[in-house]
Formats: sequence, C-alpha cells, structure tokens
Amino acid sequence: MITLNHYLVLAAALFCIGLFGVVTSRSALRVVVCVELILNAVNLNLAAFSAYVAPKQAVGMNFVIFLMVVAAAEVGLALAVILTLNRTSDISAIDRIRKLRG
Amino acid sequence: MSLSVVFFYLYAAIALAGAIGLVIARNLVHAVMSMFATLLAIAALYLLLGSEFLAAMQLFVYGGAITVLVLFVLMLTKAEPEIATTSRTAIRWTALGLCGVFFVALAYILGTHSWELAASHVSNTASLAETLFSRYVLPFEIAGLSLTIALIGAIVLAREDDTLPGNASADEGGDA
Repeated sequence: MITLNHYLVLAAALFCIGLFGVVTSRSALRVVVCVELILNAVNLNLAAFSAYVAPKQAVGMNFVIFLMVVAAAEVGLALAVILTLNRTSDISAIDRIRKLRG
Repeated sequence: MSLSVVFFYLYAAIALAGAIGLVIARNLVHAVMSMFATLLAIAALYLLLGSEFLAAMQLFVYGGAITVLVLFVLMLTKAEPEIATTSRTAIRWTALGLCGVFFVALAYILGTHSWELAASHVSNTASLAETLFSRYVLPFEIAGLSLTIALIGAIVLAREDDTLPGNASADEGGDA
C-alpha cells in the first residue's frame, strides 16, 4: 500500500537533488533546469497532499496549476536572460557574470 | 503487492534516476533529456494520484513546452568547451554532504509523521474545475496576467534590439 509518506519522501529526494544541482553547477542553463526540478518536487508534494488529505476540495491541485504558471513564467524569463547574456558577453558560467556588481 | 505499488516504485525510480542524471551528466543535452524522463515519470505519478488533468498539464507544459524551450536556448547559445560545467571537487562534496543531511532530516520527519487522511481517495477534474473557477478565480486571473507580463518581458529581453546606441548590430546604421 502506497501511503502519503511515500510520495513525500520521494518529493524530498527530488528536492534535495535539485538543490545540489543548483548549488554545484556552473552552467546557467543547468541551474534553471534544476530550479524546475525543485518546483516539480513541490508540485508532487501538493498533489499528494491534495489527493490524500482533502480530495473533495482539490485545493492542492489548484496550487499545482498556479505553480506551473509561475514556473513557466520563470523559465521563460530566465532563458531570455541567458540568451541576452550569451549574445552580449560570451559568458555561460554563472560565477563569471559580474555585470551588476557595483 | 498490488499493481499500483509496483508502478509507484517504477516511476519513482525513473524520476530519481533522471534527476541524478540531470545533476551529473557532463553534456547539457543529455542532462536536459534525463530531466525529460523525470518530468514524464512525475506525470505518471500524478495519474497514480488520480488527477488526470495535472498529468496532462505536466505533459503539455513541462514535457512539451519547457523542455523544447530549454533545448532551443541550448542550441542558440555558444558553448564554452574550455570551462568545466561543474564546480570544484571540494564544493561538490560539501554540497553533497549538506544536501544528504537535509534529505535525511526531511525523510525522517516526513516518513514518520502520521497525517490525518481522508476516508475516500477520489479526486477528479470536475472538483478541481469547481474550486478553480469559484474560490480561486482571482488568483486564476492574476496568474494569466503574470504569464502575459512574463511573456512580454521575455520578448523584450531576448529580441535583437537595433535601436539602442552601442549595440553591435546598430553600428552600421551610422548613428554614433
């Protein structure tokens, strides 16, 4: 029998892998994709809570939809920034971007 | 063991393997494709949770749009082959240790806590639509507005602007 705890532990594992990727990767594109992985782990959490705790109201599923909207907006903007940085400065390693440093 | 248990562990294994592949793959295209496997497995997990609409949205938004968008940006950006795509070894091991400790703590708390569960395990698209268009109709509209703003912002950021002075493509216009 698969319980709510199974889903929560799986989502925690995905979250931690995504966190590791965000911290260690130097490519800006990989950082963006790892943030998507973190958001997916949170989405899985919300959907599992919604299905197991309050399936009638489906509140968690609404939150999943809103989070998907935010994630889509975020990835669009982040990719536009990466594209602009690449066109103007030939840099793709995020620790070498110093444009906004005062 | 019932069939849903088998499928849960199968999709969980695919999701975890894809996530690990995303983190450790040297080639960025391989990393994105392995992330794609994770996204598909999460869509299957939504199906196991009984929310078909979320599974379809996961396939459309993440599996379709976002993966293709990331691959396109990957094709359009110049690669820097001389730099490593990951950090130094010491940073990696420190991050691995910290994330491992964080995961163990999270898994201990989430795995041992007993939640107040609902009796029935039904959840359908109709109840989702009812709450989305009655109780959460204002956040729904704001979400649409924020998507529009983000889209316009992305276009403004990414388009090749030839009207600004100092831009390389505007130099041939003779406008100093």
